[in-house]
Amino acid sequence: MTNDGQPQGQRGTRGVTLWFTGLPCSGKSTIAQIIGEELRRRGHRVELLDGDEVRTHLTKGLGFSKEGRDENIRRIGYVCHLLTRNGVIAIAAAISPYRAIRDEVRKMVGSFVEIYADCPLEVCIERDVKGMYKKALAGEMKEFTGISDPYEPPLHPEVVLHTDQETAEASAARLLGRLQEMGYLPGAAVHEPYTPEEEAAIRRRLEQLGYL
Amino acid sequence: MAKQGKVAVIGLDCVPPELVFDRWREELPTLKRLTEQGCWGKLKSVVPPITVPAWSCMMSSRDPGELGIYGFRNRKDHSYDGMAFATATAVREERVWDILGRAGKQVIVLAVPGTYPPQPVNGCLVGCFLTPSAESDYAYPAALKQELTERFGPYRLDVEHFRSEEKERILEQIYRMTEQRFAMARHLATTRPWDFFMMVEMGTDRIHHAFWKYSDPAHRLYQKGHKFEHAIRDYYRFVDEQVGGLLPRLGDDTSLFVVSDHGAQNMEGGVCVNEWLQREGYLALAEPVTGPTPIGQAKLDWSRTKAWGEGGYYSRVFLNVQGREPQGVIPPGEYEAVREELRRKLEAMLDEKGRPLGTRVFKPEEVYRAVRGVPPDLIVYFGNLRWRSVGSLGLGSVHTFENDTGPDDANHSEYGIFIWREPGRRSRPVEGLSLMDIAPTILDRFGIAPPAAMQGKVIA
Repeated sequence: MTNDGQPQGQRGTRGVTLWFTGLPCSGKSTIAQIIGEELRRRGHRVELLDGDEVRTHLTKGLGFSKEGRDENIRRIGYVCHLLTRNGVIAIAAAISPYRAIRDEVRKMVGSFVEIYADCPLEVCIERDVKGMYKKALAGEMKEFTGISDPYEPPLHPEVVLHTDQETAEASAARLLGRLQEMGYLPGAAVHEPYTPEEEAAIRRRLEQLGYL
Repeated sequence: MAKQGKVAVIGLDCVPPELVFDRWREELPTLKRLTEQGCWGKLKSVVPPITVPAWSCMMSSRDPGELGIYGFRNRKDHSYDGMAFATATAVREERVWDILGRAGKQVIVLAVPGTYPPQPVNGCLVGCFLTPSAESDYAYPAALKQELTERFGPYRLDVEHFRSEEKERILEQIYRMTEQRFAMARHLATTRPWDFFMMVEMGTDRIHHAFWKYSDPAHRLYQKGHKFEHAIRDYYRFVDEQVGGLLPRLGDDTSLFVVSDHGAQNMEGGVCVNEWLQREGYLALAEPVTGPTPIGQAKLDWSRTKAWGEGGYYSRVFLNVQGREPQGVIPPGEYEAVREELRRKLEAMLDEKGRPLGTRVFKPEEVYRAVRGVPPDLIVYFGNLRWRSVGSLGLGSVHTFENDTGPDDANHSEYGIFIWREPGRRSRPVEGLSLMDIAPTILDRFGIAPPAAMQGKVIA
């Protein structure tokens, strides 16, 4: 068990939910996939809950109304909660457009890292991996986030990935470093800027200056 | 000036509005002219008003709680001695130059507190005074260090051996440090392409702490006619000239800010916070101390200690909580009651003559939007910062006029200065400004919407 009562997964890591949120085609699923594979390669217990895949079984039948979306996210969140408390790294990649519901999941899970795939709408439209933006813009698809439905970006995400400015691999690498810094993954990601001698010298200097 | 021109920030650490806008306004022609060409006023600092984290808060528009940085050193865990320095790697939120660099703007960042070790920027960066020595790799790109050393000599990071009565030497070092920094600034501003330029001069802080007593009649050690009576004023004139010499390199069309992170005021004395805690029954020693002993070297009986404090220009008080600290004694259910009781008692403290000190006490969650890292349980401004905090035990009294660490001339105050010169901007005083407003305003000048997470507003 960790100090806060969480079971540990392999390699001494504690369970955590990595929650990707962002517009359609912002890169959530791509980066989540890369992260999932890398963490498995490192020996961690990982489960990936991708929004599209989950809608074919766990949340099948829930539509894209506000109520349907909220219930979809709550159910994904509940599964993440169960996985996290059993020492698994749960990776969720769903648009999850409403802030209040994301915050509800955060409170439920506890060990929660919100990752915002920040990508301008124009770029997402350009990518249009499944042709859905085209349909939405033509009015053929209703309740489409970013076009006819709102997206509320997170106010205080733990990580922001500017996916229009770096490759998915670069985003994934940065995210892994950040997870180490936050203590969710083993490894000293934080560069220690001072040797012990330097730190002692800095401390003496600051004491003389009255700061300490 | 239309948006998307250049922006420059000249930071003058610890400069109070009373000196620049009132007392010496006529003696500082450059700064006076800038106020006549733009808007100006007081700039509210953060809690605590200390160089670290104030400059990082200014440049990120995030408060100390959001940064998880409450001072130069912060607890990295709940152990009793696990403190870590807040260097550049501790600042996890983006600062203005990160955002601008991503938007393709070139930046020059010179000696801004919170920038050692140097992190990559879209341009160049010279680390701040928390660089260990001139031999350290303090610049980005790395080759810049050699260029600066060859041209200006070894980097003058700070005044050495500051706790000294060798005032002539200290004064000389302050001047040489400032001279070198402004020379570097002129060099970088003219040899590098830039859209955003920022420098911070620390001499203005050092001069206050070392020489305040000579120039302030209210200081208990003031002596009229002392040879250093005009040391601060003369230095301010020097800095004003240096700023004047830099302006042509920055360009008349540049949107120019001159700001400080907090102000300065007379220091009346020191409160020995751990002596007080001991007398009030919150702190117990396992072994008595013989003479002045820093808190870190004293042997505390943790089984009988509820709270301990840190020294500095303000105080941080930490509680010893069961299940949190290794030998915690306060049951979690009693934490708030103990904290509130301490707060009341601290606020009721009297000075050595039995007069109310006017101490202010803050709980982190009351003043910060988020509380990250390991915050202090209470933040204390003894005498509203007219008294410093002394962490040592064994001084024999709660009030002291002898310091255990640094100089005792001046403490910080809550308001710094703000001047904004921009072509077309009319001269007027402005009120209600916070240092959190600077980063959003800078971004706005570039047509970049400030991130929603930034707390400050765009100054009109």
